[in-house]
Amino acid sequence: MAVVKTTGARIAAICTCLPTRRFDNLTDSSAFTEEEIRKVTGMAGVSSRRVAGETICSSDLCIAAAQRLFDRLEWHPESIDAVIMVTQTPDYFLPSTACVVHYRLKLADHCAAFDVGLGCSGFPYGMWLAAMMLQGGGMRRVLLLHGETPTRFSDQSDRSVSLLFGDAGSATALETTDVAGSTWHYALHSDGSGYNSMIVESGGFRDRFGQDLHKHCVSMNGALIFNFTIKRVPSLIDETLKAAAMGTDDIDYFIFHQSNQFIMKHLCAKQSLPSEKIPIILRDFGNTGGASIPLAMTQGNLTRPEDRPLRLMLLGYGVGLSWGSALVDLDAKAILDSVELDNTSQVSA
Amino acid sequence: MTQTEAVAWIARVFETAPDQLTPDTHRDNVPAWDSLGVLTLLAGLDSAFGIVLTDEDIQAVKTVGDILDVMRRHGTLTSSPA
Repeated sequence: MAVVKTTGARIAAICTCLPTRRFDNLTDSSAFTEEEIRKVTGMAGVSSRRVAGETICSSDLCIAAAQRLFDRLEWHPESIDAVIMVTQTPDYFLPSTACVVHYRLKLADHCAAFDVGLGCSGFPYGMWLAAMMLQGGGMRRVLLLHGETPTRFSDQSDRSVSLLFGDAGSATALETTDVAGSTWHYALHSDGSGYNSMIVESGGFRDRFGQDLHKHCVSMNGALIFNFTIKRVPSLIDETLKAAAMGTDDIDYFIFHQSNQFIMKHLCAKQSLPSEKIPIILRDFGNTGGASIPLAMTQGNLTRPEDRPLRLMLLGYGVGLSWGSALVDLDAKAILDSVELDNTSQVSA
Repeated sequence: MTQTEAVAWIARVFETAPDQLTPDTHRDNVPAWDSLGVLTLLAGLDSAFGIVLTDEDIQAVKTVGDILDVMRRHGTLTSSPA
Protein backbone atom coordinates (compact mmCIF):
# COMPACT_ATOMS: atom_id res chain seq x y z
CA MET A 1 0.00 0.00 0.00
CA ALA A 2 1.20 3.47 -0.78
CA VAL A 3 1.34 5.94 2.01
CA VAL A 4 -2.10 7.56 2.35
CA LYS A 5 -3.45 10.56 4.18
CA THR A 6 -6.69 11.69 5.73
CA THR A 7 -8.01 15.06 6.79
CA GLY A 8 -10.73 16.34 9.06
CA ALA A 9 -10.39 14.08 12.12
CA ARG A 10 -9.11 14.80 15.61
CA ILE A 11 -8.49 12.74 18.69
CA ALA A 12 -10.84 14.01 21.37
CA ALA A 13 -9.60 11.65 24.06
CA ILE A 14 -7.79 8.41 24.77
CA CYS A 15 -8.41 6.39 27.87
CA THR A 16 -6.68 3.13 28.74
CA CYS A 17 -7.75 0.46 31.20
CA LEU A 18 -5.62 -1.99 33.16
CA PRO A 19 -6.67 -4.86 35.40
CA THR A 20 -5.77 -4.17 39.02
CA ARG A 21 -4.00 -7.51 39.48
CA ARG A 22 -0.24 -7.07 39.21
CA PHE A 23 2.07 -9.97 38.42
CA ASP A 24 5.71 -9.52 39.41
CA ASN A 25 7.89 -11.60 37.11
CA LEU A 26 10.56 -12.20 39.71
CA THR A 27 8.52 -12.92 42.81
CA ASP A 28 5.35 -14.41 41.33
CA SER A 29 6.83 -16.77 38.70
CA SER A 30 7.34 -20.37 39.73
CA ALA A 31 8.05 -22.03 36.38
CA PHE A 32 11.57 -20.67 35.94
CA THR A 33 14.77 -20.24 37.90
CA GLU A 34 15.67 -16.80 39.18
CA GLU A 35 18.57 -16.68 36.72
CA GLU A 36 16.26 -17.46 33.78
CA ILE A 37 13.82 -14.80 34.87
CA ARG A 38 16.53 -12.18 35.30
CA LYS A 39 17.92 -12.99 31.86
CA VAL A 40 14.56 -12.79 30.10
CA THR A 41 13.29 -9.76 31.94
CA GLY A 42 16.64 -8.02 31.48
CA MET A 43 16.33 -8.35 27.74
CA ALA A 44 12.59 -7.78 27.39
CA GLY A 45 12.54 -5.01 29.99
CA VAL A 46 9.43 -6.36 31.71
CA SER A 47 9.46 -6.45 35.51
CA SER A 48 5.75 -6.74 36.12
CA ARG A 49 2.52 -6.96 34.18
CA ARG A 50 -1.18 -6.57 34.75
CA VAL A 51 -3.18 -9.74 34.26
CA ALA A 52 -6.88 -10.12 33.55
CA GLY A 53 -7.34 -13.52 35.16
CA GLU A 54 -10.40 -15.58 34.37
CA THR A 55 -13.03 -12.91 34.90
CA ILE A 56 -11.96 -10.08 32.60
CA CYS A 57 -12.21 -10.09 28.81
CA SER A 58 -11.11 -7.57 26.20
CA SER A 59 -14.58 -6.05 26.09
CA ASP A 60 -14.56 -5.35 29.83
CA LEU A 61 -11.33 -3.39 29.64
CA CYS A 62 -12.51 -1.38 26.64
CA ILE A 63 -15.94 -0.68 28.12
CA ALA A 64 -14.41 0.68 31.32
CA ALA A 65 -12.14 2.92 29.27
CA ALA A 66 -15.01 4.06 27.02
CA GLN A 67 -17.25 4.90 29.96
CA ARG A 68 -14.54 7.13 31.38
CA LEU A 69 -14.25 8.83 27.98
CA PHE A 70 -17.97 9.49 27.83
CA ASP A 71 -17.83 11.02 31.32
CA ARG A 72 -14.82 13.20 30.60
CA LEU A 73 -16.04 14.35 27.19
CA GLU A 74 -19.69 14.56 28.21
CA TRP A 75 -20.52 12.54 25.12
CA HIS A 76 -23.86 10.79 25.07
CA PRO A 77 -23.63 7.15 23.85
CA GLU A 78 -26.28 7.94 21.22
CA SER A 79 -23.86 10.36 19.57
CA ILE A 80 -21.47 7.56 18.53
CA ASP A 81 -21.76 6.70 14.84
CA ALA A 82 -19.42 3.72 14.78
CA VAL A 83 -17.54 1.49 17.20
CA ILE A 84 -14.51 -0.42 15.95
CA MET A 85 -13.14 -3.16 18.19
CA VAL A 86 -9.58 -4.19 17.31
CA THR A 87 -8.61 -7.39 19.09
CA GLN A 88 -7.09 -10.82 18.70
CA THR A 89 -8.55 -11.97 21.99
CA PRO A 90 -12.30 -11.58 21.39
CA ASP A 91 -14.87 -12.54 24.01
CA TYR A 92 -16.52 -15.00 21.60
CA PHE A 93 -15.98 -16.45 18.13
CA LEU A 94 -19.33 -14.91 17.40
CA PRO A 95 -20.87 -12.46 17.78
CA SER A 96 -18.28 -9.79 17.26
CA THR A 97 -17.00 -8.23 20.47
CA ALA A 98 -18.03 -4.87 19.03
CA CYS A 99 -21.67 -5.95 19.29
CA VAL A 100 -21.21 -6.92 22.94
CA VAL A 101 -19.67 -3.51 23.55
CA HIS A 102 -22.47 -1.85 21.59
CA TYR A 103 -25.04 -3.40 23.89
CA ARG A 104 -23.23 -2.71 27.16
CA LEU A 105 -22.41 0.89 26.30
CA LYS A 106 -26.02 1.45 25.22
CA LEU A 107 -25.02 2.70 21.80
CA ALA A 108 -27.75 3.51 19.29
CA ASP A 109 -28.97 1.29 16.48
CA HIS A 110 -27.66 3.77 13.91
CA CYS A 111 -24.16 3.00 15.18
CA ALA A 112 -22.02 0.67 13.04
CA ALA A 113 -20.21 -1.96 15.10
CA PHE A 114 -17.55 -4.39 13.90
CA ASP A 115 -14.33 -6.14 14.88
CA VAL A 116 -10.93 -5.95 13.24
CA GLY A 117 -8.65 -8.95 13.81
CA LEU A 118 -5.25 -7.37 14.20
CA GLY A 119 -2.82 -7.42 17.10
CA CYS A 120 0.41 -5.46 17.48
CA SER A 121 -0.15 -3.36 14.35
CA GLY A 122 -3.78 -2.67 15.22
CA PHE A 123 -3.53 0.89 16.49
CA PRO A 124 -2.28 2.59 13.32
CA TYR A 125 -4.69 0.46 11.27
CA GLY A 126 -7.57 1.43 13.54
CA MET A 127 -6.67 5.11 13.38
CA TRP A 128 -6.60 4.96 9.59
CA LEU A 129 -9.94 3.19 9.45
CA ALA A 130 -11.64 5.55 11.89
CA ALA A 131 -10.26 8.66 10.17
CA MET A 132 -11.32 7.34 6.77
CA MET A 133 -14.85 6.80 8.07
CA LEU A 134 -14.99 10.33 9.43
CA GLN A 135 -13.53 11.78 6.24
CA GLY A 136 -16.10 9.88 4.19
CA GLY A 137 -18.90 12.04 5.53
CA GLY A 138 -22.07 11.19 7.41
CA MET A 139 -20.27 10.20 10.60
CA ARG A 140 -19.29 12.64 13.31
CA ARG A 141 -17.94 10.48 16.12
CA VAL A 142 -16.14 7.13 16.07
CA LEU A 143 -15.15 5.07 19.08
CA LEU A 144 -12.00 3.03 18.44
CA LEU A 145 -11.28 0.24 20.91
CA HIS A 146 -8.22 -1.95 21.37
CA GLY A 147 -8.48 -4.78 23.84
CA GLU A 148 -6.02 -7.59 24.43
CA THR A 149 -5.75 -10.28 27.08
CA PRO A 150 -2.70 -12.21 25.82
CA THR A 151 -1.88 -13.57 29.29
CA ARG A 152 -4.91 -15.79 28.79
CA PHE A 153 -3.34 -17.57 25.80
CA SER A 154 0.21 -17.68 27.15
CA ASP A 155 1.71 -21.05 28.06
CA GLN A 156 3.09 -20.51 31.55
CA SER A 157 5.96 -22.91 30.82
CA ASP A 158 7.07 -20.97 27.73
CA ARG A 159 9.45 -18.29 28.92
CA SER A 160 9.44 -16.50 25.55
CA VAL A 161 5.85 -15.39 26.09
CA SER A 162 4.81 -15.98 29.69
CA LEU A 163 7.12 -13.33 31.13
CA LEU A 164 6.43 -10.85 28.34
CA PHE A 165 2.71 -10.29 27.88
CA GLY A 166 0.33 -8.10 29.85
CA ASP A 167 -3.36 -7.28 29.45
CA ALA A 168 -4.86 -3.89 28.68
CA GLY A 169 -7.62 -2.12 26.82
CA SER A 170 -8.06 1.32 25.33
CA ALA A 171 -10.76 3.58 23.99
CA THR A 172 -9.98 6.36 21.56
CA ALA A 173 -12.64 8.96 20.80
CA LEU A 174 -12.33 10.51 17.37
CA GLU A 175 -14.49 13.21 15.87
CA THR A 176 -14.64 15.42 12.81
CA THR A 177 -12.94 18.79 12.93
CA ASP A 178 -12.82 21.84 10.70
CA VAL A 179 -9.40 22.87 11.97
CA ALA A 180 -7.03 23.32 9.04
CA GLY A 181 -3.80 21.38 9.05
CA SER A 182 -5.15 18.20 10.57
CA THR A 183 -3.73 15.99 7.83
CA TRP A 184 -2.64 12.58 9.03
CA HIS A 185 -0.40 10.13 7.15
CA TYR A 186 -0.35 6.35 7.25
CA ALA A 187 1.69 3.51 5.78
CA LEU A 188 0.16 0.05 6.11
CA HIS A 189 1.83 -3.24 5.18
CA SER A 190 1.44 -7.01 5.45
CA ASP A 191 3.51 -10.12 4.76
CA GLY A 192 1.34 -13.18 5.25
CA SER A 193 4.25 -15.54 4.52
CA GLY A 194 5.15 -15.06 8.18
CA TYR A 195 1.70 -15.96 9.48
CA ASN A 196 3.08 -18.80 11.57
CA SER A 197 5.85 -16.78 13.21
CA MET A 198 3.36 -16.00 15.94
CA ILE A 199 0.30 -18.21 16.09
CA VAL A 200 -2.30 -19.94 18.24
CA GLU A 201 -2.63 -23.12 16.18
CA SER A 202 -5.65 -24.75 17.80
CA GLY A 203 -9.07 -23.57 18.85
CA GLY A 204 -9.95 -22.03 15.50
CA PHE A 205 -11.66 -24.01 12.77
CA ARG A 206 -8.37 -25.29 11.28
CA ASP A 207 -7.99 -27.42 14.42
CA ARG A 208 -11.12 -26.93 16.47
CA PHE A 209 -10.59 -29.35 19.35
CA GLY A 210 -6.88 -30.20 19.09
CA GLN A 211 -5.71 -32.43 21.91
CA ASP A 212 -2.35 -30.74 22.43
CA LEU A 213 -3.12 -28.00 24.92
CA HIS A 214 0.13 -26.19 24.11
CA LYS A 215 -1.31 -25.49 20.67
CA HIS A 216 -4.17 -23.60 22.26
CA CYS A 217 -1.54 -21.18 23.54
CA VAL A 218 0.48 -18.74 21.50
CA SER A 219 3.77 -19.83 20.07
CA MET A 220 6.22 -17.19 18.96
CA ASN A 221 9.41 -17.58 16.97
CA GLY A 222 11.27 -14.70 18.57
CA ALA A 223 14.15 -14.77 16.10
CA LEU A 224 11.88 -14.47 13.05
CA ILE A 225 9.80 -11.73 14.68
CA PHE A 226 12.96 -9.83 15.61
CA ASN A 227 14.34 -10.23 12.11
CA PHE A 228 11.07 -9.04 10.58
CA THR A 229 11.13 -6.01 12.83
CA ILE A 230 14.65 -4.87 12.02
CA LYS A 231 13.94 -5.36 8.31
CA ARG A 232 10.59 -3.59 8.17
CA VAL A 233 10.30 -0.91 10.83
CA PRO A 234 13.24 1.33 9.80
CA SER A 235 11.87 1.65 6.27
CA LEU A 236 8.37 2.20 7.69
CA ILE A 237 9.65 5.22 9.62
CA ASP A 238 11.52 6.53 6.59
CA GLU A 239 8.62 6.22 4.17
CA THR A 240 6.20 7.88 6.57
CA LEU A 241 8.52 10.83 7.16
CA LYS A 242 9.12 11.15 3.44
CA ALA A 243 5.42 11.12 2.59
CA ALA A 244 4.76 13.87 5.12
CA ALA A 245 7.85 15.80 4.00
CA MET A 246 9.13 15.79 7.56
CA GLY A 247 12.26 14.83 9.41
CA THR A 248 12.92 13.25 12.76
CA ASP A 249 13.09 16.69 14.37
CA ASP A 250 9.49 17.41 13.30
CA ILE A 251 8.16 14.52 15.40
CA ASP A 252 7.59 15.05 19.12
CA TYR A 253 7.31 11.37 19.97
CA PHE A 254 7.74 8.07 18.18
CA ILE A 255 5.27 5.82 19.96
CA PHE A 256 6.38 2.27 19.23
CA HIS A 257 4.34 -0.81 19.88
CA GLN A 258 5.79 -1.90 23.21
CA SER A 259 7.13 -5.19 21.93
CA ASN A 260 10.36 -5.83 23.77
CA GLN A 261 12.93 -3.40 25.14
CA PHE A 262 15.81 -5.05 23.32
CA ILE A 263 14.04 -4.72 19.97
CA MET A 264 12.92 -1.15 20.62
CA LYS A 265 16.36 0.03 21.67
CA HIS A 266 17.93 -1.63 18.67
CA LEU A 267 15.46 0.12 16.35
CA CYS A 268 16.11 3.48 17.98
CA ALA A 269 19.87 3.09 17.66
CA LYS A 270 19.56 1.95 14.07
CA GLN A 271 17.45 4.99 13.17
CA SER A 272 19.40 7.40 15.40
CA LEU A 273 16.21 8.37 17.22
CA PRO A 274 16.69 10.31 20.47
CA SER A 275 15.68 8.21 23.46
CA GLU A 276 13.70 11.08 25.00
CA LYS A 277 11.29 10.83 22.07
CA ILE A 278 10.64 7.12 22.65
CA PRO A 279 8.38 6.33 25.62
CA ILE A 280 9.01 2.82 26.95
CA ILE A 281 6.53 1.48 29.49
CA LEU A 282 7.40 -2.21 29.30
CA ARG A 283 8.81 -2.38 32.82
CA ASP A 284 5.42 -2.07 34.52
CA PHE A 285 2.98 -3.32 31.89
CA GLY A 286 4.75 -5.72 29.49
CA ASN A 287 3.71 -6.22 25.90
CA THR A 288 -0.03 -5.55 25.68
CA GLY A 289 -0.40 -6.08 21.93
CA GLY A 290 -2.55 -3.58 20.07
CA ALA A 291 -3.32 -1.65 23.24
CA SER A 292 0.33 -0.91 23.88
CA ILE A 293 0.53 2.26 21.76
CA PRO A 294 -2.36 4.06 23.48
CA LEU A 295 -1.05 2.73 26.80
CA ALA A 296 2.33 4.30 26.06
CA MET A 297 0.48 7.56 25.39
CA THR A 298 -1.38 7.54 28.69
CA GLN A 299 1.42 6.06 30.82
CA GLY A 300 4.50 7.40 29.05
CA ASN A 301 4.63 10.83 30.73
CA LEU A 302 4.41 12.75 27.47
CA THR A 303 5.32 16.42 27.74
CA ARG A 304 2.49 18.38 26.10
CA PRO A 305 2.88 22.01 25.04
CA GLU A 306 -0.17 24.18 25.64
CA ASP A 307 0.12 26.20 22.44
CA ARG A 308 0.37 23.55 19.74
CA PRO A 309 -0.52 19.94 19.04
CA LEU A 310 1.87 17.11 19.67
CA ARG A 311 2.98 15.40 16.49
CA LEU A 312 3.18 11.67 17.02
CA MET A 313 4.39 8.84 14.84
CA LEU A 314 2.59 5.69 15.96
CA LEU A 315 4.35 2.48 14.92
CA GLY A 316 2.73 -0.95 15.14
CA TYR A 317 4.37 -4.21 14.03
CA GLY A 318 4.09 -7.91 14.73
CA VAL A 319 1.66 -10.79 14.38
CA GLY A 320 0.41 -11.31 10.84
CA LEU A 321 2.98 -10.34 9.86
CA SER A 322 1.54 -6.86 9.79
CA TRP A 323 3.05 -3.43 10.28
CA GLY A 324 1.92 0.13 9.91
CA SER A 325 2.38 3.73 10.91
CA ALA A 326 0.09 6.65 11.64
CA LEU A 327 1.51 10.16 11.78
CA VAL A 328 -1.10 12.11 13.70
CA ASP A 329 -1.61 15.20 15.82
CA LEU A 330 -2.77 15.24 19.41
CA ASP A 331 -4.09 18.71 20.10
CA ALA A 332 -3.67 20.47 23.41
CA LYS A 333 -7.31 19.94 24.37
CA ALA A 334 -7.29 16.20 23.77
CA ILE A 335 -7.72 14.21 26.98
CA LEU A 336 -5.38 11.40 28.03
CA ASP A 337 -6.69 9.37 30.93
CA SER A 338 -6.56 5.90 32.46
CA VAL A 339 -8.67 3.69 34.68
CA GLU A 340 -8.27 0.33 36.39
CA LEU A 341 -10.67 -2.58 36.46
CA ASP A 342 -10.89 -4.60 39.64
CA ASN A 343 -10.22 -8.29 38.97
CA THR A 344 -12.27 -9.32 41.95
CA SER A 345 -15.52 -7.95 40.57
CA GLN A 346 -17.36 -10.43 38.38
CA VAL A 347 -18.15 -8.92 35.00
CA SER A 348 -21.21 -10.07 33.12
CA ALA A 349 -22.64 -9.12 29.78
CA MET B 1 38.01 -8.73 9.21
CA THR B 2 39.96 -11.97 9.48
CA GLN B 3 38.39 -15.20 10.57
CA THR B 4 40.26 -15.01 13.87
CA GLU B 5 38.79 -11.56 14.50
CA ALA B 6 35.34 -12.79 13.50
CA VAL B 7 35.52 -15.71 15.92
CA ALA B 8 36.59 -13.27 18.65
CA TRP B 9 33.56 -11.11 17.81
CA ILE B 10 31.24 -14.15 17.97
CA ALA B 11 32.79 -15.09 21.31
CA ARG B 12 31.96 -11.63 22.67
CA VAL B 13 28.35 -11.99 21.48
CA PHE B 14 28.00 -15.27 23.35
CA GLU B 15 30.09 -14.15 26.33
CA THR B 16 32.65 -16.89 25.99
CA ALA B 17 36.37 -17.15 25.34
CA PRO B 18 37.50 -17.21 21.69
CA ASP B 19 39.56 -20.32 22.30
CA GLN B 20 36.34 -22.13 23.22
CA LEU B 21 35.03 -21.70 19.68
CA THR B 22 35.99 -23.29 16.38
CA PRO B 23 34.03 -23.28 13.11
CA ASP B 24 32.70 -26.70 14.06
CA THR B 25 31.34 -25.60 17.43
CA HIS B 26 27.61 -26.35 17.52
CA ARG B 27 25.18 -23.96 19.22
CA ASP B 28 24.21 -26.74 21.64
CA ASN B 29 27.73 -26.48 23.07
CA VAL B 30 27.61 -22.72 23.62
CA PRO B 31 25.59 -22.04 26.79
CA ALA B 32 24.63 -18.49 25.83
CA TRP B 33 23.55 -19.46 22.31
CA ASP B 34 19.93 -19.95 23.33
CA SER B 35 16.84 -18.20 22.01
CA LEU B 36 17.93 -14.92 23.63
CA GLY B 37 21.46 -15.40 22.34
CA VAL B 38 20.08 -15.63 18.80
CA LEU B 39 18.50 -12.19 19.22
CA THR B 40 21.81 -10.81 20.48
CA LEU B 41 23.54 -12.31 17.46
CA LEU B 42 20.99 -10.88 15.01
CA ALA B 43 21.20 -7.43 16.60
CA GLY B 44 25.00 -7.59 16.64
CA LEU B 45 25.28 -8.56 12.98
CA ASP B 46 22.91 -5.72 12.07
CA SER B 47 24.50 -3.01 14.18
CA ALA B 48 28.16 -3.99 13.68
CA PHE B 49 28.10 -5.00 10.03
CA GLY B 50 24.71 -4.02 8.60
CA ILE B 51 23.90 -7.67 8.00
CA VAL B 52 20.22 -8.61 8.20
CA LEU B 53 19.75 -12.34 7.79
CA THR B 54 17.06 -14.02 5.74
CA ASP B 55 14.57 -16.19 7.59
CA GLU B 56 16.21 -19.19 5.92
CA ASP B 57 19.61 -18.14 7.27
CA ILE B 58 18.19 -17.90 10.77
CA GLN B 59 16.86 -21.44 10.61
CA ALA B 60 20.08 -22.75 9.05
CA VAL B 61 22.69 -21.21 11.35
CA LYS B 62 23.66 -23.97 13.79
CA THR B 63 27.44 -23.67 14.13
CA VAL B 64 30.09 -20.99 14.45
CA GLY B 65 31.10 -21.88 10.89
CA ASP B 66 27.56 -21.08 9.70
CA ILE B 67 27.89 -17.59 11.19
CA LEU B 68 31.26 -17.18 9.53
CA ASP B 69 29.70 -18.23 6.21
CA VAL B 70 27.02 -15.56 6.57
CA MET B 71 29.67 -12.94 7.34
CA ARG B 72 31.74 -14.12 4.38
CA ARG B 73 28.73 -13.95 2.03
CA HIS B 74 28.12 -10.36 3.08
CA GLY B 75 31.75 -9.41 2.51
CA THR B 76 32.60 -8.96 6.17
CA LEU B 77 35.30 -11.63 6.15
CA THR B 78 38.35 -10.94 4.08
CA SER B 79 39.85 -14.39 4.24
CA SER B 80 38.74 -17.81 3.02
CA PRO B 81 37.91 -20.60 5.44
CA ALA B 82 41.01 -22.02 7.10
